[in-house]
Amino acid sequence: MVAFLRTISAATAIAAAAAALSSSSSSSSSPRFPIKSNIPLPSSLPLLSISRAFAAPRNPSPSLAALRMDSVATELKPSDQQEAGDLPELLTEFMVDMKCEGCVSAVKNNLLKLKGVKNVDADLSNQVVRVLGSIPLKNMVDALEQTGRKAKLIGQGSPDDFLVSAAVAEFKGPDIYGVVRLAQVNMELARIEASFSGLSPGQHAWSINEFGDLTKGAASTGKEFNPAYNASEKPLGDLGTIEALETGEAHFSGAKEMIRVADLIGRAIVVYGTEDKSVPGIAAAVIARSAGVGENYKKICTCDGVTIWEST
Amino acid sequence: MATALSTSIAHPPSPAHLPFRSSLLAGQPLRLSLRSPSSATASRSLTIVAASKKAVAVLKGNSDVEGVVTLVQDDDGPTTVKVRVTGLTPGLHGFHLHEFGDTTNGCISTGAHFNPNNLTHGAPEDKIRHAGDLGNIVANSDGVAEATIVDNQIPLSGPNAVIGRALVVHELEDDLGKGGHELSLTTGNAGGRLACGVVGITPLQ
Repeated sequence: MVAFLRTISAATAIAAAAAALSSSSSSSSSPRFPIKSNIPLPSSLPLLSISRAFAAPRNPSPSLAALRMDSVATELKPSDQQEAGDLPELLTEFMVDMKCEGCVSAVKNNLLKLKGVKNVDADLSNQVVRVLGSIPLKNMVDALEQTGRKAKLIGQGSPDDFLVSAAVAEFKGPDIYGVVRLAQVNMELARIEASFSGLSPGQHAWSINEFGDLTKGAASTGKEFNPAYNASEKPLGDLGTIEALETGEAHFSGAKEMIRVADLIGRAIVVYGTEDKSVPGIAAAVIARSAGVGENYKKICTCDGVTIWEST
Repeated sequence: MATALSTSIAHPPSPAHLPFRSSLLAGQPLRLSLRSPSSATASRSLTIVAASKKAVAVLKGNSDVEGVVTLVQDDDGPTTVKVRVTGLTPGLHGFHLHEFGDTTNGCISTGAHFNPNNLTHGAPEDKIRHAGDLGNIVANSDGVAEATIVDNQIPLSGPNAVIGRALVVHELEDDLGKGGHELSLTTGNAGGRLACGVVGITPLQ
């Protein structure tokens, strides 16, 4: 990728450098957050900035397709995914390390800038921020981290009903790490968001399998989950494929119809080595109950006194 | 009399004809004759619908502690929990079911001990306890803890089902709410978590 980038003309490199500069000036700790940069090309950029741009390409102007590949691919979704803003609306609750009213407004403003964010509520005393919107989780996390504050997701739910199910499956390594979150949006629709690391670059099939039995890893999770109410020929548990980048990371934000999160609790999410699902998957995680909005404000683990900011 | 009864069951007399007699004669045996087959059907269908249920959790942690826990429940009876955890320090370790199965923020995101009835922490045999209070498991000199726990408060189905929640093995002994420590009545003062696992659905063999 870097070698390929070197062949790009100086003009595009300068544009990339400009984008890099603009984003670094906002003290971003997360290079993956796409910065909207429509700044004019500065004619006197030092060479140093250009080489920095090569090392860590940021989101450049829309015409730079080659650069976009690496910088935005984390945000671009596989074919069956939807653009940011087209996701079903959901309330997501974060615990954010805020200490003053100024921090609250900084956090609120940074979130409200994002496309697809409808409303932001922040509660300083509880250090809780609630975001209503149709925006991928990752964009929110990046925007929160951009303010230089620690943030942890503590709950998800539909704005109409706080009692509907939210679920999470955590892949705990040793090779593949990842988190998949499912949240019921309405009776027939669930939002699924996933991020993985440690995958081999390329396409990987992934699915919801019927059993959450990890005694033999993915091999003991049974077939793809396919309840009787599924009218389609395709099993309901078939999630298609997810594409891992050169870095081994893969991200997904999308919605799936007919999914009832409550029916998935205790089953498994399985990731396969390739697009081939005829061999057992390479990693699996049990779909667990997670907190809905307002259900879990714990900041300190009473078990050992670890705070949410120290925990992993 | 017997003939009269059986006819009244098979062909209940029209109320217009003999209203009083019919209610006296047909009413009693009718209820009896209906009750016995219907209760038989009910218990049969219950067996078919509920049957036995099975779940499993694979426990992992940051340390060498790991284990497998299987849970089996017949009908609406008690749940039998078979625990095997290795890599522990010899002695007692608190063993609990937490409300959520979410470990993305460590122990904190699993919430508190599963406590649908909003009670204080206790021993498994206490009346006042969290549903998730499963007491202690004991590790031998090799660091292996094997236990079979039979408990009435951790069903595998229904609103209080354990499926999708987390089982956690703790560093220290659970004082079962009786240690007098600040944390005794919430966590049993059992210290940090060594390993945890989400309870998943497993096929019946």
